[in-house]
Amino acid sequence: MDFFVHLAEGFIGMFQEGGKTFIGLVTGIIPTLICLITAVNAFIKFVGEERIERFASKCTGNIILRYTLFPVLSMFFLTNPMAYTFGKFLPEHQKPAFYDSAVSFCHPITGLFPHANASELFVYMGIATGITQLGLSLGPLAIRYFLVAIVIILIRGIVTEYITKMMMKRREMQAAA
Amino acid sequence: MSNYRAVQVTKGSSGWGGPLTILPTDEKPYIASITGGGIHPVAAQIAELTGGIAVDGFTNKVEPDEMACVIIDCGGTARIGVYPKLGVLTVDVMASSPSGPLINFIKETNFVSGVKVNNVELTNEVAAAAVSTAGDQQKKSAQELKAEARAKVASMQSNQPQRKTGFIEKVGRLMGGVVSTFYQAGRDTVDQVLRNILPFMAFVSTLIGIILFTGIGDVMANIIKPLAGNLIGLLIISIVCALPFLSPLLGPGAVIAQVVGVLVGVEIGRGTIPPQLALPALFAINPQVGCDFVPVGLTLGEAKPETIEVGVPAVLMSRQITGPIAVVIAYVASFGLYTE
Repeated sequence: MDFFVHLAEGFIGMFQEGGKTFIGLVTGIIPTLICLITAVNAFIKFVGEERIERFASKCTGNIILRYTLFPVLSMFFLTNPMAYTFGKFLPEHQKPAFYDSAVSFCHPITGLFPHANASELFVYMGIATGITQLGLSLGPLAIRYFLVAIVIILIRGIVTEYITKMMMKRREMQAAA
Repeated sequence: MSNYRAVQVTKGSSGWGGPLTILPTDEKPYIASITGGGIHPVAAQIAELTGGIAVDGFTNKVEPDEMACVIIDCGGTARIGVYPKLGVLTVDVMASSPSGPLINFIKETNFVSGVKVNNVELTNEVAAAAVSTAGDQQKKSAQELKAEARAKVASMQSNQPQRKTGFIEKVGRLMGGVVSTFYQAGRDTVDQVLRNILPFMAFVSTLIGIILFTGIGDVMANIIKPLAGNLIGLLIISIVCALPFLSPLLGPGAVIAQVVGVLVGVEIGRGTIPPQLALPALFAINPQVGCDFVPVGLTLGEAKPETIEVGVPAVLMSRQITGPIAVVIAYVASFGLYTE
């Protein structure tokens, strides 16, 4: 009998532990998250899509802005997955590079602006809960994640644009031959 | 002869519903503007294009069954549902999504929101249908009704000369706009939390509960530590996850990256992995991000099929190179993080 009692307690204990974690997440993260996302959502509505489109389309000429500011703006204002529609402002050979650059930013942005990809928060949040458990603040990690990602999406954009151009050239050569 | 013309009203940016085709008839000549006094520019535009009669529904009572459509500025509880329920085509100038107690009556076929003046466009249909449905006997009375209505509007307008929007109304409308925008933003947010965030939290909490309680954590620590606990291990993870034949399989919903993120997070919390490695780990577990989604993402960007054919392998190849580079950059950038 004792054996079964232990078994039952152990079984329930597992989910009590889970419940504790859940309450921690709900009370610790959700309230801030709701207020933050509400404010950002309202801000995006005030600014309006047309204005963003007009501004963003100006950043496409310069290779640095094209793979830094442009994807960051698209991800912030249009969020995942509508951000990729901004590819329409670019010539064909830059579209894959823009997609690569924008999609690579859809998790780094969640550290500071969780609204942009709210259904995939736990790439960042999973690791972040470990930091919180150690009693460390998340600010430094979130800001570094954001900044490092900007450098990386720039590199990704440039590399992918180069590869795309090479492949397109090779295709043309093959078609001509 | 009837000279009504049909217009198509599409939703504005961040709006909902529609597109609606609005065609006034002799029985339903009114474009009612119920926007807190005055005739809203959208109502004026619809009236001008259709040949219908714009009426300020705030100061003049208009029967719902005489309305061709109604223009409202509701941020979402009452008016938003009332007119759809009454069977009147409803054009909301606020970008509201269906809500309120009458939510069930709000459909894409009778409601469109976020509408601005340039969302109203003429269609080529001329109001032939309207003429044929109105019988000959009825026609006369209908014509009279229309004349009467025009006179009524004219008298109303002469009573209040050029009073389209006063200062107080402008302030009121501005305040209403701000409040309803926030309200809608809050509604979107709570919706997102309920539908996307809470369910994943439930999943993650259960997972963490099982790991912490059963001691699987100790076993996993032995596997994760040599991989996620140093630069070489992180590089290996990123190279494997970025393999072009593997990365599209690891991508969907970022579920794998999220679960691995949680596992690494648990080990950081237990002290197995030093906290400053959180930064490179974030990149190491995620070089496959969006690899499953390349064709869809490119289609959203209006890419040609040839571009997509080239784009998919281009992105996958690029990841094999930039995945590990990202880990190295993040590793360097983590110096000084959580060490003081």
